[in-house]
Amino acid sequence: MKTASFHLNLLKTNEVLSSSPVRLRIMLPVGAILACVGLLVWWGILFTQTFIAKTQAHSIEEDLAAKNSAHAEAIQKRDLARELKLQLEQLEYYRSGVRSIGAPLAKFAEIVPLRVQLKEMSITPPRPQVLLPPGAKVPLFGPTENVETQKLVIAGLTTKETPVVSLMESLESGFETLVTGEHNVNSYKQDNTEMDGKRLLSFEIEYTMPERKFAK
Amino acid sequence: MKLQLTKDKTIDINLPFGGSAKSALDITGIELFSPAEVDCPAVRLVHRKKSWHVATAGFVKAPNGELPMRWEDTPHQPIWEMPHEFTSPHAALAVNSTMATFAQSTADAIVLDMMAGISAQDSKTVAGDKTSSDGKRRFGIKREQQAQQPQKPSAKPESSGRKPTLPAEGTPVSENGRRFVVRPMAEDNFHLCASLPEFQTLWLSRLMPEGKRPTASSIQVSESALMASILLQPDFIAASGNALSIFVRQDATYLAGYKKGEPVLWRRCPGVGGTIVMRDAVRTTLGLDEELIDSVLDESLIDPRPALEPFVRPILSQLSLSLDYLASKHGLKFDRAFLMGVGAGASHWSTYAEESLRLKLVSPNPFDGLVLDKGVDPSNATRHLVALGAAIAGMEATI
Repeated sequence: MKTASFHLNLLKTNEVLSSSPVRLRIMLPVGAILACVGLLVWWGILFTQTFIAKTQAHSIEEDLAAKNSAHAEAIQKRDLARELKLQLEQLEYYRSGVRSIGAPLAKFAEIVPLRVQLKEMSITPPRPQVLLPPGAKVPLFGPTENVETQKLVIAGLTTKETPVVSLMESLESGFETLVTGEHNVNSYKQDNTEMDGKRLLSFEIEYTMPERKFAK
Repeated sequence: MKLQLTKDKTIDINLPFGGSAKSALDITGIELFSPAEVDCPAVRLVHRKKSWHVATAGFVKAPNGELPMRWEDTPHQPIWEMPHEFTSPHAALAVNSTMATFAQSTADAIVLDMMAGISAQDSKTVAGDKTSSDGKRRFGIKREQQAQQPQKPSAKPESSGRKPTLPAEGTPVSENGRRFVVRPMAEDNFHLCASLPEFQTLWLSRLMPEGKRPTASSIQVSESALMASILLQPDFIAASGNALSIFVRQDATYLAGYKKGEPVLWRRCPGVGGTIVMRDAVRTTLGLDEELIDSVLDESLIDPRPALEPFVRPILSQLSLSLDYLASKHGLKFDRAFLMGVGAGASHWSTYAEESLRLKLVSPNPFDGLVLDKGVDPSNATRHLVALGAAIAGMEATI
């Protein structure tokens, strides 16, 4: 049995008031407005954060681009510095490879015997270096070989063999910077030149000079 | 839960937790403007532990103001707040109004009744000067007095040629300044129809302030509430809802028939008054003071038959007709009937009924079938009959 069968309610549904202190007809619009305001605030925060993030990203991109160019410039400068350093090193090699023959030659006259007349003193040119190897676009700054060997050729006239031997002995002591002990007497020849009615002998001695090293 | 989509379209929504969402598990029934009471009888029913409890029963101070009898009175809207013990979420108000109607009727008769407002409005126009010349003139009983009802402009008929339709079951509609609600009866083509002037309904709907317990969830006419007052009676339930009942009020006596818990009969005994007439007859016939009437009716020292029988016999005649009607029309046969609303002298009623109709009249306490909480006095239950019925109908529960 349902008591509703006897419920002849004259009150319309829209006239029923809520006994709750929280009135829905007020709270619902207020809640809806608050929800809308909340959504707007949330959207505003989201928009601001997105805008800030975009600005930061743009700034970072610009900074990155600037740093990239600076980095490329630094790399370029580093490469240049390395190149220059290499060049300086090569120059240092050359500096190390300078052969000082002035001082020995200044003393050379003191050891030349009276019976010896020097006609020629020459240093053979070094073997030519390959400064542009195959495939290279830029020629090298320095020699490809670190060691360079030259010959000192001494040619002259003498009356007899003994003074030449004396000269050679003198050269072997005190002239280490000019010549090494390795030498080669190429020839003694009868020359047409006469001295005191005697015909002179021409000679040619080839000395191996100390190695010229391109190193520190 | 009912959701009103448009003016005429209402849908029912069944909520997942089962049962009717509209069932009120804590409701206060209040009878307003009872002719026999200064204050308002109120009963609070609470559903606890699978049974209904009378949490409180008492009398609350009437609202500050009288029920308006004219549109012009409605602006004087009092605010009515209940004592703490009656602050339930819902309140079912049963109003006693001389302008209310409650009747068993056919659909055509109800529609005619709804149209009567139009005719009444037209006749009012003719007799307008007469009405307006008597500013203190009040509405009389029922339809005759509606003709003199000063209508608010907003309550004028929408169009004099429009014929109203029968309202949907349980849906109140406003028609020609009156509020109507209809329920079908268990008998074909018959409906129970209650109506109240629109301004009285509005006045009652705003009586209890929003946001404070209780607020009105139901407004019923007192006869409607009276009919629902026996639904929780153990004898009624034991009889599977088949019952015949006599409701005796101060000014009238009604007969109600029930079949399987559905209404099949409601009629007012014609030419018979209520307890006021009965007590007057006892007092004048036996020469008693008012204070002695109850004791004389309940005790057997003085036989009240000479005074009581002239009042009861016409009622028993009507009861006999109703018994024949229910037996022939619905196949209902009764060897007992309820007698409700008679405080003293019920045993004499039963004696007369057994003599003439071989029918036993039982007069149970209206609170029978309910668990009484501490402090509830069952001795005054008869005075709370309408309030109890309003609460029972208003809770819309399944028994």
